[in-house]
Amino acid sequence: MNQRALPRWVFIVVTAAAVVWLIPVVWMLSLSLQPNELLSRTTANTFLGLVPVPFTLDNFRAILSIGDTPRWFMNSMLVAGTSTFLVLATSTLAGYAFARIRFTGRSIVYPLVLAGLMVPEQVVFIPLYVMFADWNAHNSLPTLALPRVALPIGVFLMTQFFKDIPDSLEEAARLEGCGHARIFWSIMLPLATPMMMTLAIITFLYSWNDYLWPLVSAQRTDFFTITVGLAKIQGNFAQSQGLGQLMASGVLASLPVIILFLMFQKYILRGIALSTDK
Amino acid sequence: MRLTSFLHSDNFSGWAFILPYLIAFVPLLLWPFIQGFWMSLHEWNLLAVTFNPGAKEFIGLGNYIRLMGGDDIGWSLQPMWPFRLVVSALVVTLYVRSIRRRAVGYSHHIMAGLTLFTTAVLLGLTGDWYDTRFWIVVRNTLVFVAWVVPVTTTIALLLAIALNREGRWAATLRSVFFFSQILSVTVVTLIWQLVYGVRNGFIANVLAPFGIDSPNWLTDDQLAMGAIVAATVWWSVGFALILFLAGLQQIPGERLEAATLDGAEGWRKIVQIIVPSIIRTVQFVMIMQIVLHFQVFGQSQLMTQGGPGDATNVWVRYIYQTAFRDSEVGYASAMATVLFAFMMIFSLIQFWVTKRQES
Repeated sequence: MNQRALPRWVFIVVTAAAVVWLIPVVWMLSLSLQPNELLSRTTANTFLGLVPVPFTLDNFRAILSIGDTPRWFMNSMLVAGTSTFLVLATSTLAGYAFARIRFTGRSIVYPLVLAGLMVPEQVVFIPLYVMFADWNAHNSLPTLALPRVALPIGVFLMTQFFKDIPDSLEEAARLEGCGHARIFWSIMLPLATPMMMTLAIITFLYSWNDYLWPLVSAQRTDFFTITVGLAKIQGNFAQSQGLGQLMASGVLASLPVIILFLMFQKYILRGIALSTDK
Repeated sequence: MRLTSFLHSDNFSGWAFILPYLIAFVPLLLWPFIQGFWMSLHEWNLLAVTFNPGAKEFIGLGNYIRLMGGDDIGWSLQPMWPFRLVVSALVVTLYVRSIRRRAVGYSHHIMAGLTLFTTAVLLGLTGDWYDTRFWIVVRNTLVFVAWVVPVTTTIALLLAIALNREGRWAATLRSVFFFSQILSVTVVTLIWQLVYGVRNGFIANVLAPFGIDSPNWLTDDQLAMGAIVAATVWWSVGFALILFLAGLQQIPGERLEAATLDGAEGWRKIVQIIVPSIIRTVQFVMIMQIVLHFQVFGQSQLMTQGGPGDATNVWVRYIYQTAFRDSEVGYASAMATVLFAFMMIFSLIQFWVTKRQES
């Protein structure tokens, strides 16, 4: 770290830039806390609208009591929660096997899985759509959650992690006759907890924010996730129930990821750094 | 006895451990990928096939010809010649220079070859294209990437250099710039649509006291793409920022101190010492962003609906429209396959760049 590397004015400029950077988000939050009748006249009431005066919680009360927003929020929770759980379960198991078990076929299967890292959602979403349509499986929460489980990023991260664990930790257990299941469960998993946290948080984030797959798969409003629901209500912007409520929906849609960000920023940064380190 | 020993063998354990993942991987990623290619070889209408599974017809490369072919195809020097001339000259100069310095690797050969081929040969093709809209969305996607990537990279690099220090304040500022990254595309577009609003948008509110009318950012064909680019930069700077910060941590402190003692100051230090030290990270982050932003969809879909006209329509949105509005999933799959091939080239370059970093 180089403390005296840059003059003081640079820091002041960067601080000013940071304030500008925050304006759009602060404005959204502030508008969501102002009464709708006011917003239909002006969005710049107190200090360009950045300060919520007059203040009200009516918008949040309204979106939580009527409309689909609470349902969409729950859908997103269930979908992101399910895919996070399944990603953790499948990729710790597979990661352990790829990293520490010598089995026939590993040298073929692992590169194949890694090649999957290069296939983005945008390339497979049409065949996926057709496939689930053949099974009459659209408009259901499992269909929204499952495709994410197939993405190899978790397997890749866990394999890298398990590869770096020294053999000595395993040998003692092996001498006592423990099998892979036992070693995995009582030695490897406890060691892997921080890595699993990282994986869980970034999976939840990406799943919560996913837009393309829920957009094509969920056609009935009942099965919208909050991202798709929010996209839908901003589409009929003019006819919508009012700016304040629209902004409140936006705030609600961001709430879980903001909480994750505030609590686990370190894990998120590490997750991004690791997952780009192919 | 043989059964128990089999159950304890590494082969059995290995496959048992990867089985749960493979149950998801094979049908939900590997198979759709193959299926997508297979579909691209068919005249395949979603609605028709739903009612009658036999209603698809194998047409070989027909979709690809319809996508990228045309009548009276010829080649000429004329189209976009100033641009082609400048870019070709630039590429040749850089390439010759790096050969002289013996600083060439696979990635250089391929980049130079591809850029030259594109500017000198491909852009010179003329004819009546079968699908003119496809070329419009490809151009828009390229323009989008060509703006977002350098701007994001520059801002992120400058921020990373300024914020690469200890202390709570720097940490807070890093969090601020990273924060927008975690919002979903629908929240980002919601916020920015409002910021750009003509009547009560934030920009309009700021301009109002000066008596300036805000232009209609999202429906003006000169401004719409710029507006989307700005929102995207705001959204994605954080990602590049943290990768650059990680890269800066690798620079040995002595090198910077030595430079400071030699009197290297400000810009000179940035340009002569810091940037060359993390040039590999910069390369890597740029390629990564190129691959990422080629897949742009939400911003165009939600902020401008591809408009005005097709001014901000992009590749993935065209795929989406072709598949789900026109039901032509076969043709859309051909577009997706071409997009994949395109991104694959950059992924391979990235692979080579990383490999050279390691060696």
